Amino acid sequence: MNAVSRSEAQRRADEIRTFQGELDRLEREGVLALSEEQRRAVAEHHGELLAQYARTFDIDRDAQAKQLSLGMRIASFLGALALAASVFFLFYQFWGLFPTAAQVGILLVAVFGAFVATHVIQGRDPTGYFTMLAAMVAFACFVLNIAMLGQIFNITPSDKALLPWAAFALLLAYACDLRLLQAAGILCLVAFLSARTGTWSGMYWLYFGERPENFFPAAVALFVVPQFIDHRRFHGFAAIYRIFGLLTLFLPMLVLANWGEISYLDFDRKLIQGFYQVLGFAGSAAAVWLGAKRHWPDTVNTGLTFFVIFLYTKFYDWWWEIMPKYLFFLVIGLTAVLLLVVFKRLRTALKPGEGA
Amino acid sequence: MSWSRKHTLIAGLALMALTNAVALVGVAWNRSAEEAKLRLSERELHAPYRWYGNRENSGLALNIAWRVLSEPADATALYGWSYGVTGGAPSWLDEAKMRELGFDTSTAGDAQRGRVRYEKQLPREVLLVLELEGQTYRRLLELAAQYVAREEAKLASSPADKNYEARVKNAREALERETSRNSRLFVVDAGLDAAALRAKYPDRARYAIVRGQVRPAITDAKSARLGGYVTDLAVESINVPLAFREALAGAAASSPYDERSRSRFEATVAFGRRLEPWIAEASRK
Repeated sequence: MNAVSRSEAQRRADEIRTFQGELDRLEREGVLALSEEQRRAVAEHHGELLAQYARTFDIDRDAQAKQLSLGMRIASFLGALALAASVFFLFYQFWGLFPTAAQVGILLVAVFGAFVATHVIQGRDPTGYFTMLAAMVAFACFVLNIAMLGQIFNITPSDKALLPWAAFALLLAYACDLRLLQAAGILCLVAFLSARTGTWSGMYWLYFGERPENFFPAAVALFVVPQFIDHRRFHGFAAIYRIFGLLTLFLPMLVLANWGEISYLDFDRKLIQGFYQVLGFAGSAAAVWLGAKRHWPDTVNTGLTFFVIFLYTKFYDWWWEIMPKYLFFLVIGLTAVLLLVVFKRLRTALKPGEGA
Repeated sequence: MSWSRKHTLIAGLALMALTNAVALVGVAWNRSAEEAKLRLSERELHAPYRWYGNRENSGLALNIAWRVLSEPADATALYGWSYGVTGGAPSWLDEAKMRELGFDTSTAGDAQRGRVRYEKQLPREVLLVLELEGQTYRRLLELAAQYVAREEAKLASSPADKNYEARVKNAREALERETSRNSRLFVVDAGLDAAALRAKYPDRARYAIVRGQVRPAITDAKSARLGGYVTDLAVESINVPLAFREALAGAAASSPYDERSRSRFEATVAFGRRLEPWIAEASRK
């Protein structure tokens, strides 16, 4: 297998390590005995693969390296956010000292420079950590670029700006294998699609958040993206789409389940709240079922989290005022036990290998 | 064909170039003709308040101080005018006008549910007509003068009443603010057709058409009168280019309301084809 991304190479390396451990155990227990020749062939093949991955992607070859990598990832993530913020504040600190042409020039040089620098760094950085820093700065520069052009020339704010931001973030995300930028791109896309949905009713786009139903088309679109686009080369990308799809679906539902008056629906507030409560329960339960069937742990966990949130907010509404606190928490605890039993049965019912 | 790093480079550069080109060509198109040109002063252009969130911002953008006049006016309304409050429910924004702007007024009526349904509609983007020192401003001066006269008459009938004395003082101060300090820029009409509005208000040195938002509101709770509330202009503040910073520097330093009159300037604000403004000229007075 020729790995094309660092995450893919890392996954293969982890599988090799697991395989070696299991092979040692099977040999010790006398279940399997490879000949010396076979053992050498496997070891050589794995050794070559690991060496190649280490050269190309600087993967973690053992558990200790993996632990250090986690620290580097966290540092890289925080550094990327801080550098992006620094770019914003640096420009704000000095932009007023330049004439308009120079302001535009600086913005253009910054965004083009940051993007080209990301490209160069990516070619020389097998770890990907420095690429992440550079890519985040490039994205921040592009957001700043368009936002500042709007401010410098008093351009009417438009939701259309969200589209190139989303495209740029996703381009960098796929090119550099960065889930942080994938999330940034998805957020821009959610805002754009929701604003567009809102403007169909005639409202001004900036108010799209005042009708949570505006988020539903974006939620559906995000959830089905991995069904139509093959993401096997991009580890974790499909899961991010599904998680954001479910968040974009269930968060507005949760809001509507408690504040029915902000719905598009022209019914009594209580009726709307009840409708979204039922929909929230059914939707989150369906997400758990679908996730279990298709072996999508991300979907199961997100669905389960929202199911519990919907359930507990209802419990709070019904019983917090009227029940003694010990009884209220006892009911919550017993519900958790009940959920455990249900999921244990569900796990048993789903045969291994079932689903896509 | 597999996607390579070279493709990413080309796609990224093209995306950045195209986005910037669209923005800059739009600016050039807007500024290729002047739809209106208003000579504003420190009364209509206010510096933003400096707070910790923007104190490191070296740029300067002046907020457009626009107002609406609502009649019949009472003493409470006068208090609102006297501090040049932005936004409000003007008298001309009635049920017929709201219908013309695309709002559904059919469901409203006396019933509470109908009113809720009416007010539940979200703001729409419309075209607003800004009038500089026109009929509306003169009407406001008239109302403020009438208010002073009424309070003076009450004081004359009870000269010993300290309460009336204070009210006369307040009314005179309000009139003074309207005469020399408050904004003279009023939103006087709204519509959806820029050409029709321009035909109705042909004076381009007094009337500017801009984009803004209107939200439905029950403007009189007793009579359940349907109306609207002018909430925002699409472009609320105008960037000050470096060339005009010196002339408008006083505005930047004059945050507290009562010090605004100390820094006097005049700025010609042009509105282009896309109704977006820019400062064309500026000078100290």
